[in-house]
Amino acid sequence: MEPVERVIRWILLCGIAVSVALLAAGLVIGVARGAGLPRGVVPLAEIPRALAAFRPAAYLSLGLIVLIGTPFVRVAGSLVMFVRERDGRYVLVTAIVLLVMCLGVLLGKV
Amino acid sequence: MAFVAGVFGSMLGVGGGIIMVPMLSLAFGVPIKVAIATSIVCVIATSSMAQTTFVSRGMTNVRLGMLLEVATSVGAVAGGITAVLIDGRVLQFCFVAVLVYIAWQMNRRGGDVAPARTGVLEARYYDAATGHDVEYDVRRTRLGFVLSLGAGNVSGLLGVGGGAFKVPIMNLLMGVPLKATIATSNLMIGVTAATGAAIFYGRGYMDPYYAVPAALGILAGARLGPRLAVRLSARALGIIFQVVLLVFAVLMILRGLGLGL
Repeated sequence: MEPVERVIRWILLCGIAVSVALLAAGLVIGVARGAGLPRGVVPLAEIPRALAAFRPAAYLSLGLIVLIGTPFVRVAGSLVMFVRERDGRYVLVTAIVLLVMCLGVLLGKV
Repeated sequence: MAFVAGVFGSMLGVGGGIIMVPMLSLAFGVPIKVAIATSIVCVIATSSMAQTTFVSRGMTNVRLGMLLEVATSVGAVAGGITAVLIDGRVLQFCFVAVLVYIAWQMNRRGGDVAPARTGVLEARYYDAATGHDVEYDVRRTRLGFVLSLGAGNVSGLLGVGGGAFKVPIMNLLMGVPLKATIATSNLMIGVTAATGAAIFYGRGYMDPYYAVPAALGILAGARLGPRLAVRLSARALGIIFQVVLLVFAVLMILRGLGLGL
């Protein structure tokens, strides 16, 4: 495997592991409290407080956020690797991809 | 159901949103926006999990994927602009026509593409089905890039991941062997899906009641799919892919007629 491939694999594995751990924690807490699955996600800003309160929805929400965020981190990680390899062309290509992803999220909010 | 979707999606390099969305909304009565949000989460899960296998086997062409991601992500963001210009029905009809045409082309080709030497983005991987290393270069990069813009645009418009287009563009046009194509397409769909999912999350359409079980099922299924894709012959994969394309076409016709979606 190339270094960039190794980094991508590592980022994806970590993302999946953290996400599954959070989702599992949310499910376990939910079952322990005798509640079913919650019907809505917790907004980003309220997650820390909800986590501290052991609300299952907070753990499930964060698990989903980690899952959704993993491709962003993957692209960012590839960018770092291309910079380190001084592969100017793919630094540019990857930076554009990351930029468009973030732009898409910002535009979608409006 | 999510497990099966994970197996097929990761095996063929398509997200399978076009199957997941109508299933969720018809069979489980999930509101359409929530169904789309759930399906996008599943696409991300498929992509991330499958890549851990594909990348470690050297099947994914990371540079090619990154290059085409520029085109597909720009195209997807521009989807909103095109939506104003073209009637939805016309677009759906074109979508069906292109799917059928691609399936026919792949069928006519029979086997896999013959690797060509161009010196562009050259790569190699080990094909476990034949026991040989496959070396290939990428052809017609510019045309592939332009068509990927279109693929991204259509996927942004119709709310489908676009893997169904990315695979033929890379395989038929750019001369990338089918297995490397599937692995690379699988990497790419994660990017578009993550952008979409972040938007749906922000708007509050994410429902853990559906998304969490679906994501966990997909993650399990997507461990199996790439292993199958690695072992199966390119010919068998091609035939499965053609069948799935035709199923997509039928679903899109039903959607155009107002049945289901």
